[in-house]
Amino acid sequence: MKKFCALVMALVLTVLSAGCGGSSGASGEGEFAGQTLRVYNWGEYTGENLIANFEAATGARVVMDIFDSNEQMYIKVANGEAYDILVPSDYMIERLIQEDMLQPLDKSKLDCMDLLVDEVKGLPYDPNNDYSVPYFWGTVGIVYDTEKVSLEDLEAEGFNIFLNEKYKGDIYLYDSERDSFMMALKALGCSMNTSDQAELEAAYNWLLQCVNTMEPEIVTDEIIDSMAQGRKALGLIYSGDAAYIMSENPQMGFFMPESGTNLWSDAMVIPKNAENPDLAHAFINYVSSYEGAMDNSSYVGYTSPNKEVMEELSGEGGDYEGINAYTPQRDNANDEVFAYDEETRKVISELFSKVKIAASNAG
Amino acid sequence: MKKQKRPIGKFLMGLTLLFFYLPIVFMIVFSFNDSKSLTHFSGFSTMWYTKMFQSRDMMESLYTTIIIAVLATAISTFVGTITAIGLSKSRRLVRRLVLQLNDFPIMNPEIVTAIGLMLLFITLRIERGFVTMLLAHIAFCIPYVILSVMPRLRALDPNLADAAMDLGATPWQSLFMVLVPQLMPGIVSGALIAFTMSFDDFIISYFVTGGGVKNLSIMVYTMSKRVNPSINAMSTLVVVLITLVLVAINLEPLLRARREKKK
Amino acid sequence: MKKFSQLAIPYIVWAALMILLPLLLIILYAFTKPGNEFIQFSLTLEHFAKFFTDPDFLLVLWRSLVIAFKTTLICGVLGYPVAYFIARSNDRVRNILILAITLPMWINMLVRTYAWIGLLSDGGILQKLLGLLGFGEPKLLYTEGAVLLGMVYNFIPFMILQINTSLCKLDHSLLEASADLGADRFQTFWRVVFPLSLPGVVSGITLVFLPAVSSFFIPKLLGGGQYFLIGNVIENQFITVGEWNFGSAISLIMVMVMMLSMYAVRRLDRSGGREEDRL
Repeated sequence: MKKFCALVMALVLTVLSAGCGGSSGASGEGEFAGQTLRVYNWGEYTGENLIANFEAATGARVVMDIFDSNEQMYIKVANGEAYDILVPSDYMIERLIQEDMLQPLDKSKLDCMDLLVDEVKGLPYDPNNDYSVPYFWGTVGIVYDTEKVSLEDLEAEGFNIFLNEKYKGDIYLYDSERDSFMMALKALGCSMNTSDQAELEAAYNWLLQCVNTMEPEIVTDEIIDSMAQGRKALGLIYSGDAAYIMSENPQMGFFMPESGTNLWSDAMVIPKNAENPDLAHAFINYVSSYEGAMDNSSYVGYTSPNKEVMEELSGEGGDYEGINAYTPQRDNANDEVFAYDEETRKVISELFSKVKIAASNAG
Repeated sequence: MKKQKRPIGKFLMGLTLLFFYLPIVFMIVFSFNDSKSLTHFSGFSTMWYTKMFQSRDMMESLYTTIIIAVLATAISTFVGTITAIGLSKSRRLVRRLVLQLNDFPIMNPEIVTAIGLMLLFITLRIERGFVTMLLAHIAFCIPYVILSVMPRLRALDPNLADAAMDLGATPWQSLFMVLVPQLMPGIVSGALIAFTMSFDDFIISYFVTGGGVKNLSIMVYTMSKRVNPSINAMSTLVVVLITLVLVAINLEPLLRARREKKK
Repeated sequence: MKKFSQLAIPYIVWAALMILLPLLLIILYAFTKPGNEFIQFSLTLEHFAKFFTDPDFLLVLWRSLVIAFKTTLICGVLGYPVAYFIARSNDRVRNILILAITLPMWINMLVRTYAWIGLLSDGGILQKLLGLLGFGEPKLLYTEGAVLLGMVYNFIPFMILQINTSLCKLDHSLLEASADLGADRFQTFWRVVFPLSLPGVVSGITLVFLPAVSSFFIPKLLGGGQYFLIGNVIENQFITVGEWNFGSAISLIMVMVMMLSMYAVRRLDRSGGREEDRL
């Protein structure tokens, strides 16, 4: 047995040294040397070198945890998990502010607000940007295979194309309760912020019809590689993921229905129980700077709130030149921004978990 | 009935082994692919290994997995053995009750143990992270150790420790120099089970972790949404490590026997 | 000597805290209304009522039981001959085969399940192979078949090992006696070997059926996001919906159903055992 123990110990030591080797960059010089920043962010949402460069610049160490949905993030944070930075969406930020879970930003420590485009500043969820600095922004639309789906169908049907049995078994839905209900409500011509029981019920039935007749796959990030490989004809998608897919596979298109869609933004906030707010401010500055924003946006495909970066990437010679998904459309009067309402949230949450169960039972 | 060729049996056995190893071989092969695809092998490359070693997240998850497995194994083996010895000298009612309780984590579905522990840590306001993961692993490992030490204890002469003390051993000496060596096979197999359970665990770790602490399973689970052959590289590394350890364990008695023969 | 009994005390405290208390918490959550503080809670049965009055939830539970049943059946039917083959091999071969079967079990379960994704995915090897064999190119990944495959793959070693153990314990003189009394090989197998190996089959069933009912990452990885079993419903309640009280109630219901099914299996075993007495 001694040999076995020795082997295990040797193994542990190897890994230990490998682990230390990997993080040696973080323990170098810098204003925040030796400190740790805990970030809670979406999966597949940071540039390739963003974290490493931030660590090199500040000497701090970044621990990143990822979530799939705003709701999942909320539950962890509400149960006392301590992070320094969260990156929730608009309506969730509104909720966190209402429930007094965020600390106001110290604007004297922020030097990034002037770099950002006006459209993402001062939005209704946080009118003076007292709590949040935008991280990415965009819309929700339909990614489609231009060989399989005709533009006429899309223009005629909008989101109702997800009920068109021509595409049965060939569609992706997104596993997000608010955006699924957004799609259904917009398809029915309602406001996505409705709290009307009858309208929500109608949206629920719309979604039930979809999962019962269309054999959709309900996915999150799986949609990115799958659509880039052209696995299915249609999918509900965030504009940034569509931009990435279109840059990988020119056969794919992005469509936003006339009935309007969700103009969203995800923003960085600092929760009340953050252990290192100073470092968090430094992170916000870095992410918003040209260097950080460029790395993020060119790698991930989501629209940068940094004006210079957005214009460069969508302009001539940029990574996303000619890709409509990268530049959010801002001229449709039917587009809306999510608002938060506790009662409606409960209803939607309950109904959507039933939609997923129904989808599973239908299969 | 003695020596038959058993062609059907051999065929079935072969198919079973193919079934067991096909995905593993496939995974190893594609860890050396030089493109991102999981379906077309376009050429040999070690780029995914380079990526894996460069990814701090992946290396840290491997590190966390091994450290937790080693610590949980060591602690639960020690506590489990001591407890088993203690129980064997306890009143019958106490023993029966504790063993009943001990069976819960083994019999309960893992997800139930997992949410129970999560609720416990949240109720007691213990910050979730490395420590809670370790505590949870110890909690589900000890029962297996007790379970594998108990039968050896029953087979032991109950007066062994008394005899040792009559001969002048202190209680501790009689415990560690007389009882424990006798129980060694049970302790070792308990430790091995504990190690696998901890190394393998996903569900319980997933519910009790926090603060960005991930083990290998959680890593694979969160990364599996995108095509990422680095996961294959990581898995290959695990396969190689585990095979080495297992071969070492299985060769050890053979080698020792040979050495003893030489003497 | 009595001193040694004190060695168990730390663990008794630990077990009360880490095993008993969590279970009590689940029960407490299952029977109380959400949002109340520790001291004042209001008891309710509403979560159970919600589950049992909704056909969708009942259907998920039923489907989980059915797929676990199928998994167990396949594991039994495929595992038994394999275990039999191993048990009948000579010592050296048997040790090698058992090692070959246990080795994959040591490799992380998630890693092993993940390995199937590439094999099953569209354009993958298995799909092409089926295409060559004239089955068309069916969709494999994200289907119920894929989930079933994943479960069988993960759980069949338990079945093989349990049956093998009970077959190895078999007294060979019984077989000789049976042959001496004029039974042919099939009779010996059906009337002697199989009944005597039933305890192994039963513990194999326990080890396959229970984890199969509650599993949630196999359906998620191989069945896709729209494939829900009862384990996924529980996970969803805790991780995304945040209704812990309802989630706890569902777990309790699941445990009850499992205990009932295991009770039924044990009954079956006992009646099988009686037959063996008659023999």
